[in-house]
Amino acid sequence: MQPNLLRIVSRRLFLDRQAAFWLDELDPTGAVHDRGARVEEVIVETPDTRTFVLQPPRRWSGHRAGQHLTVEVEIDGVRHTRCYSISSAPHDPRLAITVKRVPGGRVSGWLHDHVRPGGRLRLGAAAGDFGLGDVAPGAPLLLLAGGSGVTPLMSILRDLAARDAVRDVVLVVHARRHDDVIFGRELEALAARHAGLRLCVRLDDAADGDGGFDEDRLARLVPDFAARTTLLCGPAGLMARVEAMWARAGATARLRREAFGAPPVVTPPPGAPVAVRLSREARTIAAAGPGTLLEQLERAGARPPSGCRIGICHTCKCRKRSGVVENLRTGAISSDPDEDIQLCISRARSDLELAL
Amino acid sequence: MITESRTLTRAEADAFGRELDALRAEVRADLGQRDVDHIRAVIRTAHRAEAAGRLLLHLGAGPVSFVLGSGALGVAKILDNMEIGHNLMHGQYDWTRDPALDAGYEWDNACDGGDWRHSHNFEHHTFTNILGQDRDIGYAFLRVSAEQPWEPRHLTQPITAALLALNFQWGVATHDLRVDELGRTQTWAELRERARPFLRKAGWQLAKDYVVFPALALGNAPRVIAGNLLANLTRNLWTFAVIFCGHFPEGVRVFHPEEVVDESRGQWYLRQLAGSANIEGGPLLHVMTGHLSHQIEHHLFPDLPASRYPELAPRVREICARYGQRYNTGGFARQLGSVAGKLLRYALPGGKRQPRVAPAPAPAAPVEVTPALARAA
Repeated sequence: MQPNLLRIVSRRLFLDRQAAFWLDELDPTGAVHDRGARVEEVIVETPDTRTFVLQPPRRWSGHRAGQHLTVEVEIDGVRHTRCYSISSAPHDPRLAITVKRVPGGRVSGWLHDHVRPGGRLRLGAAAGDFGLGDVAPGAPLLLLAGGSGVTPLMSILRDLAARDAVRDVVLVVHARRHDDVIFGRELEALAARHAGLRLCVRLDDAADGDGGFDEDRLARLVPDFAARTTLLCGPAGLMARVEAMWARAGATARLRREAFGAPPVVTPPPGAPVAVRLSREARTIAAAGPGTLLEQLERAGARPPSGCRIGICHTCKCRKRSGVVENLRTGAISSDPDEDIQLCISRARSDLELAL
Repeated sequence: MITESRTLTRAEADAFGRELDALRAEVRADLGQRDVDHIRAVIRTAHRAEAAGRLLLHLGAGPVSFVLGSGALGVAKILDNMEIGHNLMHGQYDWTRDPALDAGYEWDNACDGGDWRHSHNFEHHTFTNILGQDRDIGYAFLRVSAEQPWEPRHLTQPITAALLALNFQWGVATHDLRVDELGRTQTWAELRERARPFLRKAGWQLAKDYVVFPALALGNAPRVIAGNLLANLTRNLWTFAVIFCGHFPEGVRVFHPEEVVDESRGQWYLRQLAGSANIEGGPLLHVMTGHLSHQIEHHLFPDLPASRYPELAPRVREICARYGQRYNTGGFARQLGSVAGKLLRYALPGGKRQPRVAPAPAPAAPVEVTPALARAA
């Protein structure tokens, strides 16, 4: 029997969910089936940053240095998914993610407060284009980090170090103060071991007042910045300034960037036009004018399934990949990624991506 | 106790609706661990009951294990269809974002999940008890109200209702095919197209209960076939009884389309209340009915987790009392007896018509934010 046919038969006879149930029931340690990645160790990096060292899940297909993955946790009965950069090198048999506690952040706070060695985390596959990719080995590099933006760069640096390929690398790390430098001691050790690595730690509270990010200061620190392949990861403000600086120097082509953290929430007034990306139809439409998101989509020519139009039948339920919506029945505003919304009682409060 | 609901003005109805909206918002904000713990415990019980039932039927011998096995399998099917299937498919647990608790759940029932979500979640819950629009009124072939015109075929309805009870899953499964509309609003070609999901689902269900599992039992196959039949029969009778008590006991209103023209959200709530009836009982009865014993709360809040209905009920009742609205509730025997009485009475022509309610005038300016009830023209 073909595996595909087998899958259809087992689904139609409900054998698939029965098998999943009984595996869960009879195999609580995950000896024969995948129950997620086991947490081996929790390392306190800074007062608000922890590294979770994991035994990769059974079907883990590896990652490239610089990539991120999704972590799914269940908090008070609700599943949440967030992206975190991988800080371990690809060759390392143990997988590590490094998570900064976001003030008021549900998932990062939960990871810090509840995840202990022996626990389990459900992971998605590694993803993302950030990294060295096809950069020639030995090409001069500038790794530019702000705060927890150092995590994907750490994976890259560890990878280079393991392959003894640290030729001409400048790593500039920005942090508020000394205690906030993530991987501080390991970075110093790497710099001591590899002559090709120059480490510059820039602290906002530096005694000489010569600390935090500033374009002139960076140009003094790395005069040949425009000639280097640069990998940038940090808070939105820092990234915008660096991008502008590289553009002025005509070096945008050599700048690679990884944005992290939630973009600032923009909530245009109700009815203001927003761009809605329909990911299955692979097109973007403008939703505007009065009424609900469903009405706006219909006016723009989309035909999502719908029923009662008063929020009770859930026919128009649709997965929101990203963006901010307002629930018109409850008034709740939500920016969670990968969340199901009812189009007939939702209103867009930012550009959206929907799985339609 | 209020036996006749007072007619509310539109402003009163909207105030009534706002109180229920506030109740809903309060429960929505409180949903969490205990709700997922509850539904997962029910799912666990259903899986265990099914495994126990099948093992007893397949490996056992003699009448005791046959009755126990069929009973356990029947309980598993009841839990799967009612507390799990019906409630998940309403999207009651979509907020958990757990794929195992998603509204796309497919139940162990001949009715295709997609057909059900259309005929039940959308049509029945939107157009509840509106004559000519809600096909759940007597399932389009039984006369359960004096407002439905009598036809000679209704004379045999005590028998057809009993046959429906025995084969209830097939009644539900074929409900959305609209066979009665053949030749009028539906052509044979449309019916063929419409019947596809039903035929596919029904085929698999028959194969599961009467071919695959019996084949796995080898020599015990006849016993397994009989046990599965008995389990399906048990579930059919139970769900029929529960569901008929939800909308057909004495005192439940039906609505003429002109009574609900330009209905506001508050008036929609009033119609849900007037069109539903509860069954009184303990926690076991509530779970085994999928909490449809709280049909009123279910119709007011179809997408709140049903296990919350018992704690909502006293507060809903209190609000209804303040607005002079009847809250139709009674023991299982009383409600079922009332339904049986109506099925007998309305087999004959006539019956006491309910007073008409004039449509309330619409407000001068429509409120933009609240999605209005869009109705089929």
